[in-house]
Amino acid sequence: MFGNLLASCSYDRKVIIWKETNGTWDALHECNNHDSSVNSVCWAPHEFGLMLVCGSSDGAISVLSSAGDGTWETKKVNNAHTIGCNAVSWAPAVVPGSLIEQPSAQKPITVKRFVSGGCDNLVKIWKEEEGQWKEEQKLEAHSDWVRDVAWAPSIGLPHSTIASCSQDGRVIIWTSDDSTGSMWTPKILHKFNDVVWHVSWSITGNILAVSGGDNKVSLWKESLEGQWVCVSDVNKGQGQQPSEGPQAEQ
Amino acid sequence: MAARWNENIVAEHRDLQANAMSVDCTGQFAILAGKRVWAVINLDTPQDVVKKLSRQSRWEVSVVEWNPHVLQKNLFAATSNQSADIWSWADGCGRQIASLKAHTRVISDVNWSCFDSNMLATCSVDTYIYLWDIRDSRKPASALSAVAGAAQVKWNKIDSNYIATAHDGDIRIWDHRKNSTPVQYIAAHLSKIHGLDWEPKQELCLATSSQDGTVKFWDVTSPRQPQSTLNSTAPVWRARYTPFGNGLVTIVVPQLRRGENSLLLWNTDNLSVPMHTFIGHSDVVLEFQWRKFNEDSTDYQLVTWSRDHTLRLWKIDPHLQKLCGAEEFIDDVHRDMVSISPGSRHSSISGVAIEKTSLGSDKEQTGSAVEEINEKVKNVSSSATTVTAGQPQTLQQEFSLVNVSDITNVKLDALDAMHRSCKVTSVHVNNMVTLNVSFPANYPNNAAPDFTFTKPTNIDTKTKSKLLKILQETSHQHVKRNRTCLEPCIRKLVTGLETLTVDDKVQDSSQTPYNLQNVSVVKQPVMPIISYGSYRDHNIPFPRTSGARFCSVGKLVVFMRPVVKKSSNPENTPRSLSVLGTFRTLPIKGMASQTSQYNIYNTNLGSPTRDVEVSISNYYKDRDRERKIRGRGSSKHKRGWEVDYVKPTSSGLVTVYDIEIVLPIHKTLAQNYVLDHNDIPGMCSKNAAAAATVNRKEFGTLCQHCHREVKGAHCVECKRYSFQCAICHVAVKGSSNFCLSCRHGGHSHHMLEWFQTQDVCPTGCGCYCMQEDFQLYGRERTDSFSRSGHTGRERTDSFGRSGITSRERADSYGKSGFSNFL
Repeated sequence: MFGNLLASCSYDRKVIIWKETNGTWDALHECNNHDSSVNSVCWAPHEFGLMLVCGSSDGAISVLSSAGDGTWETKKVNNAHTIGCNAVSWAPAVVPGSLIEQPSAQKPITVKRFVSGGCDNLVKIWKEEEGQWKEEQKLEAHSDWVRDVAWAPSIGLPHSTIASCSQDGRVIIWTSDDSTGSMWTPKILHKFNDVVWHVSWSITGNILAVSGGDNKVSLWKESLEGQWVCVSDVNKGQGQQPSEGPQAEQ
Repeated sequence: MAARWNENIVAEHRDLQANAMSVDCTGQFAILAGKRVWAVINLDTPQDVVKKLSRQSRWEVSVVEWNPHVLQKNLFAATSNQSADIWSWADGCGRQIASLKAHTRVISDVNWSCFDSNMLATCSVDTYIYLWDIRDSRKPASALSAVAGAAQVKWNKIDSNYIATAHDGDIRIWDHRKNSTPVQYIAAHLSKIHGLDWEPKQELCLATSSQDGTVKFWDVTSPRQPQSTLNSTAPVWRARYTPFGNGLVTIVVPQLRRGENSLLLWNTDNLSVPMHTFIGHSDVVLEFQWRKFNEDSTDYQLVTWSRDHTLRLWKIDPHLQKLCGAEEFIDDVHRDMVSISPGSRHSSISGVAIEKTSLGSDKEQTGSAVEEINEKVKNVSSSATTVTAGQPQTLQQEFSLVNVSDITNVKLDALDAMHRSCKVTSVHVNNMVTLNVSFPANYPNNAAPDFTFTKPTNIDTKTKSKLLKILQETSHQHVKRNRTCLEPCIRKLVTGLETLTVDDKVQDSSQTPYNLQNVSVVKQPVMPIISYGSYRDHNIPFPRTSGARFCSVGKLVVFMRPVVKKSSNPENTPRSLSVLGTFRTLPIKGMASQTSQYNIYNTNLGSPTRDVEVSISNYYKDRDRERKIRGRGSSKHKRGWEVDYVKPTSSGLVTVYDIEIVLPIHKTLAQNYVLDHNDIPGMCSKNAAAAATVNRKEFGTLCQHCHREVKGAHCVECKRYSFQCAICHVAVKGSSNFCLSCRHGGHSHHMLEWFQTQDVCPTGCGCYCMQEDFQLYGRERTDSFSRSGHTGRERTDSFGRSGITSRERADSYGKSGFSNFL
């Protein structure tokens, strides 16, 4: 829809958007909105248009959106996280509950949301209201810097899920069972011995890949009883064959 | 002098069990705070307790501090455990007026602002520093989050915006207008910092006292290196500047109890020996503060409270003040050469300090007072700039004060104050440098001295120009603030000569970087160059050296750093990028620690000697290696290091895993699936074959009774039919349907037949299966269920295409109520 675009963020305080044309990548746009290292960028679901959120160590989050004519508009949330913002992730464009709700006359309005995590140990949910980004929720459970957040993909079932991981070694799964997303319940997926750097949801939203300072990657899945179990360890980085790796089949 | 040493007043207060003390701003009262009692003492008659207030608390009073403003002189703050209480002492009685509660851990320090009589800073091990306006005690006016717990918090005494905090061995400087991050970060000591004090006369200078037995003096704009260091024999608890001259008082850490209880007075211009030792206390001094003896006198009194339960008042007479470089000495001797009796006027220093104090408190008032204040401020600031408080006034004086006795290879001669010049000679190995320094008339007021090399200098021109550059930078840095620079220049010359001549190759790295830090960072938030490991990096998370991310086409992309050694010590994983800096600055081995420090900044320039790029990817590797090297004998150090660095670092692997198998959806499978309502068994077998081709097992069957996976008609666990048809009561194999609500069902064709005419469950359980399922999954699906009798597999497929986790749901028989049997 928008072509092959890549956004990169760096310690040099810049965010650069790259575009591929005829096999070569060129910088399409360069943003210098931040005063410190930019730690995370995330493209919005395509339904929202060409939109990008960036989190920086200067504590601010900026949302870039393309006007379509080659210009980019920036909305900045200053002091979103004290000390610094480490991660950002968009909520899916699908309205929670839209899959099973009775098709009603008015179409549910899509609300733009994203989640962020920072050095204030908080996970925050941001919501666009009248063109402005407002802090909607503040989720407190981590005891150290939040290093990554990931909003799970959704097909429109009435619950939303967010994974967050932290310097404290914990991975927390946040779930909200109402479509408004006002109540979030934390559940500790696991406490690792080392800092957890990265969480990533599979496209189906049921498997979580976790990686961290111990140089290991593990895949996690929710069991029938609602417990999160490790279904696979991609250990040591020695290039296991995929077929013998994950053992999630039943 | 010996006689003078014992000139002190002793008052014993054994019953108070106090461990905190504070003197009010008038010097009239002292408060002693113990676990059970507050005692207010009039320092004119220190033997008597004016008032005792009992207190009930499980917690000791950790810090007590009077408000330094005359207007609010009756207020004092006392902290105990997590709260800071504001008390008012008026008319002989005390009452608590506010309690500031926000910290979640013990408050470690409290400090009133020198400018706003309502502002108070508290810090705690809970990592927060709160700034309070005591008129609103409900919540802090501002919060600074520091990641590490703070032991000390101190407001700058000249600039109302700056605050310094001590966190273990580090100092952070904050501008409270920009409270998200510190404006400066100083890795000051390797051990814990116990005490922190801002220079009363120089805005950007502070002293830190530490467990490592040193007091370091810092210019916060050059965080890499202290301006000077005082070495003490014991860990230093507090080091505070004296209100006169360039003095400093130190006390030892109270926990020690080694018999070491020294209370020392130093001159910061001569840190080799203390100017005075106060002898009298039989145990360690817990707290000391200053009071003016009386308004007309120039004498100060040092008020000390010791663990020996005595309060002592030590008189600091003009002679002792002179030893600390107090102003009278300078003024009297050098300015007018007339000996003015010390009692006739205040030293201008103390004048400044006191005026300032009153200034702050007056700020609340308006009208003419404000104008008056402004005028005063002008006076104060002008006197501060012209007099340059505490600095030697003449060249003669500076010459006499230069102390380079600790450096062996430097000689200072031809000191000529008349012609404003001097000669410095330094020898290092075979290199000799003779430097003529001539001072312009308005030196040191923003006029740097001139440096020229004269015979018998025997270094090459290149080194000369580099040394000159260092000297110019150093001198400019000082005269910019109207400070004298001879001694720092000499020190720079000596270290510069050593570094530059040791190894020609190292010199490239030693010239620029130091000054990068000197660019006044406080005022200029933008980093001059991109360099890892600078002080600003402490809040930038350490980059991930491994990670895994799903992509949308069923692949998991994994990257990792190469596994050098299996180490699972979480301590090894750094938190922030600044670790690269500290890692590099550690005195690692034979190579001078200074050069390695410089190299951090040169990562993008490259260093000719060591092709070392401080990169994230080889961080772990380097560290492991260094650890190894440190363990080995020193002779091997150099070789091992360099050989290792020449070798290219092997890079980590990026692995792409195919994870389609763990996903509940499968593209090929979905494509090959068939929907044929007329031939259900045939369709099922076709679909089963399709599943087999993509290496998927057949759908599992869960026992209806014990919910275990079964193969075949009987459950191994409970020996019953795993799934019994509700109509014909035989075990179901093949296509089947069941109700999501009551879990009853059976052969597809039986179910189809039944539900064409009925809507209740055939078992008679009373479940309206059609309606229940309607509610659970919506009209369309239930309709299809009832009318066409889709098998579960088809439904899975349709789910799969719509992107839901159907296989997943199928597994969670008990939970989501959707299951299929074949």
